Amino acid sequence: MRLTKLVPAVLSFLLVPPVWGRVFLRWSLEAVPAAERLGVRDLVISWDPAKLDLFRNAARQGYRVYAQTDPGQVAAVARSAAKARITGVLINPGDSSRTSIAGGMRRLRATYPALDFLVLNPGAVQPKMRGTMVLNRNGVLQATSPTAQPWIDTNLALVRLDQALFPGQLPVYSFSWDLSGAAKEAGPDLADYALATAEAGAFGSAVLLSLHEPLARGLADNEASAWSLWREEREYLRFYSGRGRRPAEPAVAVIADDDPASFEPINLLVRHNVAVRVFSPPRVSGVELAKYPVVVALASPTPSQVRILADRARNGGTVVVLNLNKASYPWQSSPASQNNGTSVSFQPGTGKVIELLQPISDPESFAQDIRALIPDNKLGLSLWNALTVIGVMYNGQTENIVELLNYAADPLDVQVRVKGTYTSVKLETPEHGCCVLLKPSAEDGFTEFAVPSLYISGRLHLIRKARR
Amino acid sequence: MRWNKGLLLAFALAASVVAYSQSPVLVHRQKYAMGTVFEIASYGASSGALSSALDEALQEAVRLDQIMSDYRADSELSRLNRGAFSVAQAVSPDLYRVIEIALEYSKLSGGRFDITVGPLAAYWKSVMRGERARSAADESKLRGCVGYGHVILRPPDRVEFRCPSTRIDLGAIGKGFAVDRIVEVLRRRGVSNALVNAGGSTLYGMGHPPGEGAWRVVVKDMGDGKTQVLLSEDSLSTSKQSAPSMLGDRKSGHLVDPLTGEPVATSMTVAVLARTATDSDALSTALLLVGTQRATQLITDSSALGALWISSTGQLEVVSKTPVKWLADARAEETPLEQKAQR
Repeated sequence: MRLTKLVPAVLSFLLVPPVWGRVFLRWSLEAVPAAERLGVRDLVISWDPAKLDLFRNAARQGYRVYAQTDPGQVAAVARSAAKARITGVLINPGDSSRTSIAGGMRRLRATYPALDFLVLNPGAVQPKMRGTMVLNRNGVLQATSPTAQPWIDTNLALVRLDQALFPGQLPVYSFSWDLSGAAKEAGPDLADYALATAEAGAFGSAVLLSLHEPLARGLADNEASAWSLWREEREYLRFYSGRGRRPAEPAVAVIADDDPASFEPINLLVRHNVAVRVFSPPRVSGVELAKYPVVVALASPTPSQVRILADRARNGGTVVVLNLNKASYPWQSSPASQNNGTSVSFQPGTGKVIELLQPISDPESFAQDIRALIPDNKLGLSLWNALTVIGVMYNGQTENIVELLNYAADPLDVQVRVKGTYTSVKLETPEHGCCVLLKPSAEDGFTEFAVPSLYISGRLHLIRKARR
Repeated sequence: MRWNKGLLLAFALAASVVAYSQSPVLVHRQKYAMGTVFEIASYGASSGALSSALDEALQEAVRLDQIMSDYRADSELSRLNRGAFSVAQAVSPDLYRVIEIALEYSKLSGGRFDITVGPLAAYWKSVMRGERARSAADESKLRGCVGYGHVILRPPDRVEFRCPSTRIDLGAIGKGFAVDRIVEVLRRRGVSNALVNAGGSTLYGMGHPPGEGAWRVVVKDMGDGKTQVLLSEDSLSTSKQSAPSMLGDRKSGHLVDPLTGEPVATSMTVAVLARTATDSDALSTALLLVGTQRATQLITDSSALGALWISSTGQLEVVSKTPVKWLADARAEETPLEQKAQR
């Protein structure tokens, strides 16, 4: 490789921040098993100045202890941190917007540099495959989606948005277990805990996990049945406790702010395994967007962003802009064609701009449209027979990694195609360790192989032919 | 075509006058099969016994997927598709029966319902995705072997194709067939009150939930959601053409009219009530394709009990063989499911 190509490639590799997943365990009991035995490093305890022994005891058991509190109490907690032996503070924003408390966090970090301040996103969902039956307040079993595909509740869109809106911060989220009928009493099963753990690990985020109360008590009281379940969960905790990795650059860039309307289109894109990188509007730059063959602007572009988008389209990119207010843009003077009355296409250069004139009423259809816009040779990862599977790709120096999650939590044979030629593909799973050698076949710059019986999650190691 | 039709149903459980000797427990189980989620919600006395019965019943969907899938290369249907041209192939009783029923519906609908339309549907899907350009020559070639007349049944268990590229796709009937088999397993296991759901587009109500005379179902596209379909020992299936592209002007949709060879252009939703899920599943597709004018005759000639046409604005048209006792208004106030289960 020539130096002129090598340097930007290395720089690009170094500039993408590494990510890694973590599991924070919510705890409220006085007795707590040793961190090493539980397989968890981070324990979260609700802040109570009258119960400092609880924090100290957890620290003695080997945990990094976080105090969970609301924005109004953060400073008081920080002042007591040394006394309570806490590692950090996990702030539940409650009704406050996370953006509004960001300034306060900066000041606290400056004042207490030894303390780790994290802001919780409490709006996550329990990761799972979900059918159309849901029990609501009125006892209605209701269709949840107009899609023909199984509905997956995944937190990938939430993580991608958090990474864009709060750069440099570990996305930490929590959810409530969604159980009904007899399952409500029995509590989450191993697959539920394992999938939540695997999600955080695969996405490079952190989950604040709540244990079903009888399970937590059983662990604290050293009950055999509780530890039997937890021993299996520990395999997932161990599997995802590795070092940080750099996400592969996807083919689609999405410009979005914190408008809730942006969430569902991104959610459907990632559900269809259309990998995206989300940019908050202030971070949009021409250099960055030039990497992406498809750019989707869900947030209204500023005049400078309009220039960047127009430039991207002139130079071969496909730009999709939501233009509900019929704003005037420079590309509108180029040749145009109407599409079904819902959008207009312009060709300002070698690329194109598609203006969407109506709100995205069907995110499922929208996601499929975006998927169709990606040039085939730019698709990094494709999965077949995998409607319940999400894959996330990472780049490494010696090998590339694909993290796979199966939300059905039921063994599934998955057909995989990755961009690039790999001579060796290995599958590692929490249940069976490392590694099963798969049989790759290379064609037209892609490598295809089958993953047998993917249960909850797995990690693919993609190894290129060694260079001489 | 894969195992997908519109998912447009919503379901309701509510209260009635059934006396239970003890508080029934609600058990909900789901399984991924046929490219969708099969679910069962059931009430019974023991969660352990009920869970075991539901798990066994859902396994039936997995078993039938291995027979009827056109996606799995090793399925019985895939083997049939590869080898049935001019050589009759022996198939299992399940596969023979579902093809037999499908061909009956093909005759009944004048060829509009057709399990050989799959290659055309796959063609349009790839055109819609931009994976290939539209080609009159390709369309003509594909249409040459589309038509239920190319499938010959040789009793008791053999199937033969008369055209080299004829392929069977059971996406418009297979889920309904699987739901009926699931119901059989549940009955054998002593389950009498359950709602079985295949991906939202086909469901079957066994018995009724506690405190109700029937399972209440809301079709999602149906106006304000207050109108409900009552299910008890019968099935409801819904079909709708998939949404058009928002960003392009390509023809699209998973439902292809075998007579024109093109995706059917309709924004209507059709819901069909029938005694079996196989019938409701097949008829919902057939009715959408024949259109409202011929639909009444088709309902009369078939085992359907009734049907609903819902326009894109939520307006409702009802056709029923019997007095319409299977429709009801939602109650203004309903109590939470968990409380009902404990009554």
